[in-house]
Amino acid sequence: MSGRMLVALTWRSAVQARYVLLGSLCLLGGFQLIIVGQASAIEETRSFSRIAELMPGFLQRGLGNQALLLATFKGMVAFGYFHPIVAVLVSVVAIYVATEPAHEVEGRLVDLTLARAVPRHVVVTRSLLLASGVLTAAALLMAAGTWMGLRLFASPEFEAPPARTAGLLLVHLVSVALCFGGLGLALAAGARRWSTAFISAGLAAVVLYLVDFLAIGWPFMRAISWISPYHYYPALPILAGEPLAWQNVGVLLAASAALYAIAYWRFSRRDL
Amino acid sequence: MMADPAILVDGLTKYYGAVVGVEDLSFTVERGEVYGFLGANGAGKTTTIRLLVDLIRPVRGRASILGIDCQRDSLRARRLIGYLPGELPVYADLTAAGYLRHLARLDDRPVSPAYLAELLRRFDVSEVDLRRRLRDQSHGMKQKIGIIQALMGRAPVLILDEPTAGLDPLMVRAFRDTLGALRKAGDTTVFLSSHVLAEVEATCDRVGLIRDGRMVATGTIGDLRRSATRRVIVDFREPVNGSCPMPAGVTLSTRSARQWALDVQGPLGPVIELLSSLPVEDIQVAAFKLEDYVARYYAED
Repeated sequence: MSGRMLVALTWRSAVQARYVLLGSLCLLGGFQLIIVGQASAIEETRSFSRIAELMPGFLQRGLGNQALLLATFKGMVAFGYFHPIVAVLVSVVAIYVATEPAHEVEGRLVDLTLARAVPRHVVVTRSLLLASGVLTAAALLMAAGTWMGLRLFASPEFEAPPARTAGLLLVHLVSVALCFGGLGLALAAGARRWSTAFISAGLAAVVLYLVDFLAIGWPFMRAISWISPYHYYPALPILAGEPLAWQNVGVLLAASAALYAIAYWRFSRRDL
Repeated sequence: MMADPAILVDGLTKYYGAVVGVEDLSFTVERGEVYGFLGANGAGKTTTIRLLVDLIRPVRGRASILGIDCQRDSLRARRLIGYLPGELPVYADLTAAGYLRHLARLDDRPVSPAYLAELLRRFDVSEVDLRRRLRDQSHGMKQKIGIIQALMGRAPVLILDEPTAGLDPLMVRAFRDTLGALRKAGDTTVFLSSHVLAEVEATCDRVGLIRDGRMVATGTIGDLRRSATRRVIVDFREPVNGSCPMPAGVTLSTRSARQWALDVQGPLGPVIELLSSLPVEDIQVAAFKLEDYVARYYAED
């Protein structure tokens, strides 16, 4: 019985958010197309060496030789999966979907749902399911954008990132976003206003991205960067083909699970 | 063994920080009854309803629906409820038909298409109305859809918060007829809050009056009539001077030589006995009005 209710609620939420979600997903897929197009244009003119020369010193010092990977066709194509805009946008999409319970409480829609024999946990599970579905769709569309870009713009002799590398980057990206989705849901499970939960979680995503980015050249930030989910997304080592440290994904999934558990707990106890 | 009442509220207490929602509230609604729940704005009507539906949790006390605890066994209790909130929330993108379809999917009880069609006919909701987005519809139409969604699952207990708010007189009559049919069938209990006292007087078997989160009066309209203070105006053929002792429950409110105004609480027999020895020309007894009765409590707020 709960299954049927879960499907009904998930479908309703997906339909309601369709324009925002479709727009964001198209943007993410389109971004990959554009970045492959740009990388192809640079590679055709053999200009990557000049980009390497222009790379800021603090990046080279902070990231070491792996920074130079960004100044290759392979690196630039893969950059589409950890570009700041992409990393933050994917997280914000997850937060947008996950904070729906607060929107339903604010608009009293939850009254009609939960006055029926719908268990409270179904509302939270719906948001988790939808966030996971949207992130999977985002990853698939980004991969499709890259594939299409390579077919449309790149010469076959250009060295594209291997499928495994692209897959690992996307797994990490989705894991980070799931973590922020969990944060959004945990906040929404206790909030009376959607904007409170969405803005708080969204700001957290931006600030924590900055913490991780600034950790490249700032020892203080390096000391606290472990709090940022982006810290567990080692894009350049993955790109360099270093042996994969699965504990990064483990940390992200464990943090997500903890945040989702908090969301379930808070929502089950709260006044609506 | 006695069957559990349809609704039992026992010592229910809810605070919003320092503000009292309801405090030590107790009452019962018997099976098959239509119970009117009255009170001024902020008196605690909606808080009580939301506690019954388990949307909010009490600090202490308990509530049950047909013997099932609303908090401890919330899911089973909610299976028995059809609920109309005070303000119907709408999905911006849904038509009225889509809205009812979505809520029917969430209903535990299957919605009979024949019964739904009957409700739509009774509340005069046309095919065109069903195809329009709910957010673009009038308040009255939203209210009709709200009533229909509460009734369509044929729940044994209906909890309706201000059901006739925004309805035109014809639809108020349709609602009244629907309640009448439910009452006749005898298998549905209705708990409704309302500000329309004439409506409550016409439709409810019993009423409860809540003030500052506490029940201050409850009973049938007849009970309230008997407990209410009534104004009796007595005109005399000739001046009546001097004093005479008033029976218990009778107060001489104003007096002139040829007219007395008495406030009477309880039966009129002692007043008639008192007046039998006096030169009475005419007696006017003010008819009981629930509105006046409730207004007296509201005024004390």
